[in-house]
Amino acid sequence: MTQTLIHTRDVSKVFGAGDDRVVALEGISLEIEAGEIVSLLGASGCGKSTFLTILAGLLDPTAGIVRVEGAHPRPRREVGLMFQRSLLFPWRTVAENVLLPAEIMDLPRQEMRERAEDLLALVGLAGWGRRYPSELSGGMQQRVALARVLLPDPDILLLDEPFGALDEMTRESLDLELARIAQLTGKTVVLVTHSVYEAVMVSDRVFVFTSRPGRVAGIVDVPFPRPRELSASGTAEFADRVSQVRQFMETSL
Amino acid sequence: MSTEMIDRDTGTELESTSIRRWVRWRGPIGALVLFALILGVWTYAVESGAVHRVILPPPGEVLEAFIATLGEGFFYGHLWVTLQEVLLGFAIGVILGFSLGALLGTSALTREISLPYIVAFQGLPKIVLAPVFITAFGFGMTSKVMMAVAISFFPLLINTMSGLMTVDPEAIKLMQSLTASKRDILLKLSVMHALPSIFAGVKTSLTLALVGAIVGEFVGARSGLGFLLAAYSYQLKVGRVWAITIILALIGILLYVAIEYAERKLVFWSSKREAQVAM
Repeated sequence: MTQTLIHTRDVSKVFGAGDDRVVALEGISLEIEAGEIVSLLGASGCGKSTFLTILAGLLDPTAGIVRVEGAHPRPRREVGLMFQRSLLFPWRTVAENVLLPAEIMDLPRQEMRERAEDLLALVGLAGWGRRYPSELSGGMQQRVALARVLLPDPDILLLDEPFGALDEMTRESLDLELARIAQLTGKTVVLVTHSVYEAVMVSDRVFVFTSRPGRVAGIVDVPFPRPRELSASGTAEFADRVSQVRQFMETSL
Repeated sequence: MSTEMIDRDTGTELESTSIRRWVRWRGPIGALVLFALILGVWTYAVESGAVHRVILPPPGEVLEAFIATLGEGFFYGHLWVTLQEVLLGFAIGVILGFSLGALLGTSALTREISLPYIVAFQGLPKIVLAPVFITAFGFGMTSKVMMAVAISFFPLLINTMSGLMTVDPEAIKLMQSLTASKRDILLKLSVMHALPSIFAGVKTSLTLALVGAIVGEFVGARSGLGFLLAAYSYQLKVGRVWAITIILALIGILLYVAIEYAERKLVFWSSKREAQVAM
């Protein structure tokens, strides 16, 4: 029943030339199955965000093969991208921000308006549609961004440190909520993060990236059933996975 | 707690209603006191002979001249001429400045080609163009409109261009990931992002359009408030000169307030606005 949604082979990315030449990614080969939540974990500047941008079809690799749902990646409805900053437009209400993808993709209006309301309720912001982003806290703004990326009902969510700028307590609860929503809606999630804890908490598999050049140092399976509870982090198995991840990170230094 | 007023200077809570009332009214009261003070110094300076009456008449005389001016029919003819010049010049200047700014802000090639000329034009005191325009377009309204355009389009060009160029690259990435076309990105993101900056340019342009029209009238005209002011000045009707000056200031303030109102409605999300509210 598993189906490979994302497939890359020997992907590398080089920026600049001559003395300024920087190898951001080298020999990245991986496969991600439908319905999986995977994390790309690594220190800042290890190229994991670059890799995500390539998967989103906004950047071409220097070499290697990338297949997303069987085709060369390009921006399309089936793939949603979310950033560390909410990037909500301050001149639009919360509901209008959530509806932005529908306007651009020319999706049916009435249907989308109802869907936006449902999604705001899903992320815990029912009734906030008419407010402006400046009236919301950072955590609430990221929830709106999550509703926005979900609006066109993509199969794949590419998340670039989506809760990285938030305080730890808000991040933990949003992580679990994200995992819950992904499971509920059957999304495949690729989460870029630099938090070992976050990676182990939400994902089925953790890809540990090395820095300069960015390579995959190792893959850690996290076979705990979903949905997970915060208390799962206290178990010996959880600690075991965290230390496996840390070992890969240390060997990569 | 929330009903308590906080003194902005000291951060202390104010409990007594009389102190609260004072905090609310101290600004307007202070402004009135300052106005009275200025009138006092003005009167004293003239009556004591420190400033000659031909340069600055006493306040009463200016007030008289002001009322007399408003009572004369021909004044409104001149006012109408100047208003037309300013508004037409401003409108053309805004359209021109915005269009050129949009072109330069979105196309790096056009920007690179025209940058030396932009810098050169920016350095030029546009007032020197007045004699040329009078020669080219005559003593009528056209030369003044051209003058207002020449002097007012530039700030808008610069502000539109820089506003469009400071769009968050990550927001562009977001739009691209949503399959947005270049047109989508320009209309739904860039122009909206640039709007606060564009409005700041519009405000500067408006003030400058007034300057352009008046300077044009100084240099060569048969009507308009600038012409009237120059004529009174030659006739040494100093009270009238000051009356016209005050009227020009009032026109400037009125137009500025109108733009400010439009800005508050259209760019409601901009935080820059808050800094400008204290007028």
